[in-house]
Amino acid sequence: MEYRFLTEELQKKIKSIQNRYLAKEQAIIPSLHLIQETYRDIPKEAVEELSHFLQVPLADIEGIVSFYDMFRFKKNAKNHIRLCRNLPCHLGGSRKLLKMLEKLTGAKAQGHSQDGKWYIELVECIGSCAIAPSFLINYDLYDGSKIKNEEDLKKILEKYD
Amino acid sequence: MSIRDKIPHLPEIYVDSNINLLLKRAKENRTVDIEEYETTGGYSALRKALERFSPDDIITLVEESTLRGRGGAGFPTGKKWRFVVANPKPRYLICNADESEPGTFKDRIIIERDPHLLIEGMIISAYAIGAEKGFIYIRGEYPAGYMILENAIEEAYKKGYLGKNILGSDFSFDLYVYRGAGAYICGEETALIESLEGKRGHPRLKPPYPPQYGLFGRPTVVNNVETLSNIPIIVTYEQYFMHIGPPGYYGPKLFPVSGKVRRPGVYESTMDITLEELIDMAGGAIGTPKAVFSGALGVYHHSEFNIPMDYSPRGFGGTGTTIVLNEEDCIIDSLIVIANFFHHESCGKCTPCRIGTYEQYNIIKKFQEGTATEEDIKLLQHLGKNIPIGSICGLGYSAPNAIMDALRKFRDEFEAHIKGECPAGVCF
Ligand SMILES: Cc1cc2nc3c(=O)[nH]c(=O)nc-3n(C[C@H](O)[C@H](O)[C@H](O)COP(=O)(O)O)c2cc1C
Ligand code: SF4
Ligand code: FES
Repeated sequence: MEYRFLTEELQKKIKSIQNRYLAKEQAIIPSLHLIQETYRDIPKEAVEELSHFLQVPLADIEGIVSFYDMFRFKKNAKNHIRLCRNLPCHLGGSRKLLKMLEKLTGAKAQGHSQDGKWYIELVECIGSCAIAPSFLINYDLYDGSKIKNEEDLKKILEKYD
Repeated sequence: MSIRDKIPHLPEIYVDSNINLLLKRAKENRTVDIEEYETTGGYSALRKALERFSPDDIITLVEESTLRGRGGAGFPTGKKWRFVVANPKPRYLICNADESEPGTFKDRIIIERDPHLLIEGMIISAYAIGAEKGFIYIRGEYPAGYMILENAIEEAYKKGYLGKNILGSDFSFDLYVYRGAGAYICGEETALIESLEGKRGHPRLKPPYPPQYGLFGRPTVVNNVETLSNIPIIVTYEQYFMHIGPPGYYGPKLFPVSGKVRRPGVYESTMDITLEELIDMAGGAIGTPKAVFSGALGVYHHSEFNIPMDYSPRGFGGTGTTIVLNEEDCIIDSLIVIANFFHHESCGKCTPCRIGTYEQYNIIKKFQEGTATEEDIKLLQHLGKNIPIGSICGLGYSAPNAIMDALRKFRDEFEAHIKGECPAGVCF
């Protein structure tokens, strides 16, 4: 099989993961993380290639992608906002923050902005309740309590292209 | 570019301690590297353990320490270890770093700021239970923690604390980090094991428990980050550990405090502290405190704030998670968040949990919208009884807890919502 998505670099990384573990299935989740970090989503073809590469059934990998919230087949927007909606953040004003985010990005909760720049996902507790309402943009974590108005939020959003 | 250069910046989470054990090096917001860890006494407990104690001695020390699991269930750690060593090798050690209980952010402080404390704890624990391989299962939403651990493990290998013949002994141990991918249920230890094996995170039927049948069917210990981080302290202090805190509940405890307090953060204390004193430690409540939600698991009325934060039957127990509500917050509006959480996170394997958590959510929503009747209170009680009976894991057992507690302690708020009134002025 010829690989289009599993580049040589990815294959090398996956091989080094395989060496650490006790069974070949243990490489599935780490490999999916690598694929998603590279392509911002998990292309269907990449899953077929991974199935071939690891010698595990395609259905097993698809089952994993659909079970875990962080994995997605759908093309993701350029920047992924994860806004926490659990109790401490809720008490800290995450609903108000969502309204501001929606207004400034043009994306609605659980949806994309038309220009494909933003995606807003409402998530459960992300272990940052001391800086509630907290949110992640890609891997960067923000303290929502410091955002007093639209200007403050604009300054953060402007950092992403 | 090394891993270190890629680590995202760490969140500014306030921490404080009145005993400086688990948080000794974690006050400032930065990662302590191996050199600093060593010069502040780090890895001396491992050296002592390997030179002076047999594996059995260490299990005895942990039994005497009265240490209980900090992951929620409070199971005695020494006892768990005794179970596992009754079963043949190979055995495995797993650190549960999935930390996803709402309002819980204590483990991340150790992982991000003092990772070697956890790693040293794991090496000593592995020596005690005779495990040659260990895994840290960290939640997918902690990318910084993942990179920090990878980097710290690399440092520990270079110094000979991990790998073959550790510090010249005949004990060898390999340690790996494994990232989850966003599923609360993977914090449940058997679901975690399934996920670590490379599958969907569905809990297993128990018994057998992991010490008998764990990772790939082998005897396995699963312990929480904070639990394992206590081990170097126990080995260092030995009998003096029994001077830290109240009898039977010795040792330090971390408390993540959030909600309506002046200084939300992670606080370390002995377990004789009361809930009221803990709130004071966090700068006191903002406004008039009304209730505390302990994660998603229970609700305390302000008249109960004198309870101790220990593992006794009337103690607070669990993970120590403390979310403070004040008079401006509505119990119903908070319960809807919790009910939605359980509905969203149920893995769907057991019908009463899958359907019941959705029903709970729908009924609480009726209270919020002002369309509930007395009949709905009865329905909630009915679900409270039956969801746990039809469930095979802790998520189903505990899904009705907060609602049932609230029904007992804040019944007036339910009644008021039936009449179309929200005492806090949040709903309608
Ligand atoms: C739904 C559910 C989620 C859990 N999440 C966690 C978690 O994130 N971290 C954790 O340490 N324990 C969690 N637990 C408890 C574990 O099943 C297990 O009891 C614990 O890891 C044992 O470690 P300990 O004895 O050191 O506490 C969870 C349990 C359930 C039922
Ligand atoms: S009780 Fe709920 S979460 Fe646990 S296994 Fe059953 S359906 Fe899944
Ligand atoms: S509730 Fe939002 S980070 Fe914990």
